[in-house]
Amino acid sequence: MKAGGIETFETEVLIIGGGVTGTGVMRDLALRGIHCLLIDRRDLNAGASGGNHGLLHSGGRYASSDSETAAECRQEGEILMRVAPDCIDDCGGLFVAVEGDDPGFAERFPGYCDAAGIDCETLSPAEAREREPVLSGKLFAAYSIPDATVDPFRITLENVNHAQQLTDSLFLPHTGVESFEIGDGAITGVLCRNTKTGGMRRIFARQVVNAAGAWAMDVARRAGCSDVRLLYSKGTLIISNTRVTDRVINRLRPPGDGDILVPGGTVSLLGTTSDSVDDLQDIRPTVAEVERVLVEGTAMMPCLETTRFIRAFSGVRPLLLPSQNGADGRSASRGFTLFDHQDQGLENFATVTGGKLTTFRLMAEKTGDLVAGRLGNSQPCKTATEPLPSGNAVRWTEPGFAPRFWYRRNDPTDMILCECEMVPQSAVDSIIESAPGAEAEMSLQAIGVRSRVGKGSCQGAFCSIRVTSHLYDRGVYDSEQGLNSMRDFLSGRFKGVQPVLWGEQMPQIELSEALHCSLMGLDQLGGKADEPEKKDTDR
Amino acid sequence: MRSVLANTGSIIDFKAKADELLPEGASYDSCLNCGLCSSGCPASGLEGMDPRRFIRMAMLGMNEELSTTPWVWTCTQCKRCMYICPMSIDVSLLVGLARGAWPEDKKPSGIVRSCQAQLLDSGTSAMGLRSEDFIEIIEETVDEVRQEDERFKDIQAPVDKQGAYFFVNQNSREPAAEPEEMAPLWKIFQYVGADWTYASTGWAAENFCMFTGDDAAWERMVRRRVDAVNDLGCKVWVNTECGHSFYTIWKGVERFGLEANFEMGSLVSYYAQWIREGKLPVNSDWNTQGLKFTLQDPCQLVRKSIGDPVADDLRFVARKLVGEENFIDMQPCRSANYCCGGGGGFLQAGMKEQRHAYGKRKFDQIMTTEAGYVLTPCHNCHSQIEDIGGHFGGDYHVVHYWTLICLSLGILGENERKYLGPDLAEVGL
Repeated sequence: MKAGGIETFETEVLIIGGGVTGTGVMRDLALRGIHCLLIDRRDLNAGASGGNHGLLHSGGRYASSDSETAAECRQEGEILMRVAPDCIDDCGGLFVAVEGDDPGFAERFPGYCDAAGIDCETLSPAEAREREPVLSGKLFAAYSIPDATVDPFRITLENVNHAQQLTDSLFLPHTGVESFEIGDGAITGVLCRNTKTGGMRRIFARQVVNAAGAWAMDVARRAGCSDVRLLYSKGTLIISNTRVTDRVINRLRPPGDGDILVPGGTVSLLGTTSDSVDDLQDIRPTVAEVERVLVEGTAMMPCLETTRFIRAFSGVRPLLLPSQNGADGRSASRGFTLFDHQDQGLENFATVTGGKLTTFRLMAEKTGDLVAGRLGNSQPCKTATEPLPSGNAVRWTEPGFAPRFWYRRNDPTDMILCECEMVPQSAVDSIIESAPGAEAEMSLQAIGVRSRVGKGSCQGAFCSIRVTSHLYDRGVYDSEQGLNSMRDFLSGRFKGVQPVLWGEQMPQIELSEALHCSLMGLDQLGGKADEPEKKDTDR
Repeated sequence: MRSVLANTGSIIDFKAKADELLPEGASYDSCLNCGLCSSGCPASGLEGMDPRRFIRMAMLGMNEELSTTPWVWTCTQCKRCMYICPMSIDVSLLVGLARGAWPEDKKPSGIVRSCQAQLLDSGTSAMGLRSEDFIEIIEETVDEVRQEDERFKDIQAPVDKQGAYFFVNQNSREPAAEPEEMAPLWKIFQYVGADWTYASTGWAAENFCMFTGDDAAWERMVRRRVDAVNDLGCKVWVNTECGHSFYTIWKGVERFGLEANFEMGSLVSYYAQWIREGKLPVNSDWNTQGLKFTLQDPCQLVRKSIGDPVADDLRFVARKLVGEENFIDMQPCRSANYCCGGGGGFLQAGMKEQRHAYGKRKFDQIMTTEAGYVLTPCHNCHSQIEDIGGHFGGDYHVVHYWTLICLSLGILGENERKYLGPDLAEVGL
C-alpha cells in the first residue's frame, strides 16, 4: 500500500534482522498463528548467520569454559537433528591434541564433557588417524564427540518459507530501519528505507523484535534503549576447494585461533580468528588473519599446507558485554540475552542477541514466549517438535544437491549455469520465482545466498556471466542492470578471494579477471560500485 | 539421449583415486573450470556429460553417478582434454578406472569379446585369428604376390626370423578379411631391403583389453608381445599403420615396468626415413588429376605417444606422395587434432548413434578441406572415417599410406586398390 509516496505495511510483529535468529523468531511466532513481517537492511544471512563455520556444536568446545552454554548446545543440537534433518550433516567430531598442547587439558577434557552431559569417547592417536588419515602424526590425545554441521543458509530459508506458508508472513530484503516513531511507551511505527531504491517504507506493528545480531545495539539505540551493550568480535575463516575430513576436527585446548575444521558438504571450513573490532564498517578478511588460521590448522592437519583454499570470509559475533569492563572476545559469554526493554520505557519492543547458531531455536522460543504473551496469544512454542517442511525453492544451498537433482532429472534442455557447483537453469528459475525474498529484479548476490552459485572454485568467473545472460533472456534484467549486478557480485567475491591468492587460486583469478575485465569490460562500466558497507560475508 | 548401458558393479571413490593416480601437480583439485576440455571434446554433450563435468562430479563426490554413466564408453580416451588443459589434468585416466569398475557382463559386449578373443590364443588377435591360421594365410598370400608380379617373384614375409632387425606386428583385419592388403607393405619392405619378421606369438596389432579398463588384461597382452620381441632378439619393434597398438605397448612398458630390449618405432617414421635416404623414391607424378588429400593424425600415435615429430613425418610423407599443393591439413591438427570417434573401443561399443554424433565434428573438418581422399595410418580411424562418410554422405575415400606409396612406385597390384576411388583404379597399372 502506498500513501504520500511512502509504502506502508501492517503486521502483528515486525522482526528486524534476517539472520538465523530473526527467521527463527518469525517461524516460532507463525507456528503460534501470528503474522510477521521480517526485514533486513541487506538480505538473509547477511551478518554472522552467513559468516560462520556452520558447526552444530555438541557443546564440547565450551565444556571447559562455560558448561551452561555447553549443555544448551547439546540439547539444542539434538532438537535440530530431529526437526531439521535436511539441514544437518550428522558427521561427528573429534577433539585432538598435538605436540605442544597442554596434556593436562587433554586429560581433564572427558570430565568437562561429563559435567555438560556430552558423550565423549576416548580414542588412541592411531584410532583417530584411522578415522581421519590426514591428522598429524604428532597427535597425542583424541576424543570423539557428537558434533554435526548445519547449513545456515538453508535453515534461514526454511524458517522463512515455513512462516510464509503458515500465516502469509513476509520477508522484505534491503529494508533498513531509519527511525522509530514512539508514543505512550510504545513503538507506533517504524520508518524504513528501501536501500535498493532509496524509497521510504512505514511499518505498523503491534510488537517489534530486534534480532539484528551485531547491529542489535545500533537498532536498540535508535529506539532510545541503552541497555543493549555488545562487543564485536570479528572472526575470519577460509574455505577449501574440497572436503578435507569427514568429521569436525577441534583442537583439544582452550578455544583459540584456527582450531576448528568443519566440513560443509563438499568443502571444509577452517577457522576462526577472534579479534575485537570497534565498528561494523568494512569487515573483510585479511592476509594476516588467514595466515594465523592456517598455521594453527596445519598443526592438526599438515595437508592443509598444500590444500587449495578458494576463499576467506569474516563474520562479526555479537557478544554480550557483562556489566564490568575488560572482557575480550573469547571470555565474553556466548550465551544470549533477551531484553524486554520495560525498564527503558517501551512495552512492545524486545531485543534478542548474543547466542550461537546452534542455540538460535532456543533464542527464538524465549523471544516468541515474550512476544506472544504480550499479544495475549497463549499458544505454546512448537519449534522443538514441529519439523521444518522443505520446498523446491529452499533446497539449493546444500552442496551437491543441485548436481544430483540435475543428473537424475536427465532433461537435456535444463542447462547447467554454474559449472563448479553444477547449478542448473531450473534451480535459478525456482529461486527467482518463489524463494523467500524473491523479487522482480533479483541480484546475483541474492541468488547466491539461495544457492551454490558463485561458491565453487571459480568464485563466480563463469556462473556470473551465465546466470546474468539467463536472466536477461528471461527479461529479469534490462539495460545495464545485469552488468551492474555482475560487477557487485564479483567485487564481493573478490574481497574473499584476495587473501587466499596463492597456488591454484592465482591462475583461477587471473582467468576470472581476463573474463570480466577484458572480455566483459566490467571495469569500464559507468556508475558506482556497490557501497562498501555491503560487505560480502557469506561463504 | 542416454544409453541403456548401466553399471551395476562397484562404486569408485574418484577423488581418492585421482589423488593416488595422478602425477604430482596434476590433481583434479587444480581444475580452473575454464572448460577448454569440454569445448574441445567431441564427446561433450553425449549422455549429458563432458570432461569438466566429470571432474566436477568427482570433486563433488558423485561417485555413484560417475561409476555408472555410460559416457565413459563414448569418451575415446584421446587425451585432447589433457593436452589443452592449462593445469594438465588427465580425465582419461579416471575414465579408464570407471570402465574397469563395470561388471564384465555390463560392459559393451563388443569390446569385452574382442579382449576375450585376445586372451585365448598366443597370437593375441582380437578377431580370434589363431597363429597357425595367420601363418597359413601369409604363406598363401605370399604365393599369390609372387605369381602375380614378376618383380616380386622372390618376395618374403618371414615369421619368427631370429635376430631380424625389425619385428613387425600385423592388424588382424588384413589376414582375417582382406589378406591382399598385406602385400603393399611387404613390397615396400622388399623395395628398401628391410630385414624384418612377423612372429607366431604376440603378432596382433590391436588391444581391446586396454579399452575394457581391465589393467591386468592389458598388462598380459603387452607382456606377451614384449616377450615375443625379446625372444626373437629384434632391434626395433615396428608398429604397423595403427594408433592404439602403438600406444598400448609404448605406454604399457612404462606403466607395468616391463623390460623391453628393443626400440619402439612407428612404420610412418620409417617411411619418412627411407624417403629421406632415397630408398623409397616416391613422387607425386601419378597425381596428374590434382586429387586433394587430407590426413587424420591418430591420437594414440601423435598426441598420446610420440607427439609432433611423428605428425611431421606423416606430413612429410603425404606431401611427397600427393604433391605439396594437393595436401590440405584439417584444422586443428597434429597434437591438437580431434579424435575421429573410432578410438577407445567406441567402434565396438555398439553405441552407433553416439559414435556418429561424436564423429560429426571430424566429418565437418574433412568436408571443409574439400579433399577427395583421407589418409589414415590407423585402422580404427580408417573404419570410423569411412563409416561417418557413409552416414553423413561424404564423397571421399579413406586410404592407407602403403597403398599410395606402392601406387607412386608403380608396384600397386590390381587387387590392392580396394580403398581407392575409380579415379585411381587404373593409375600406374
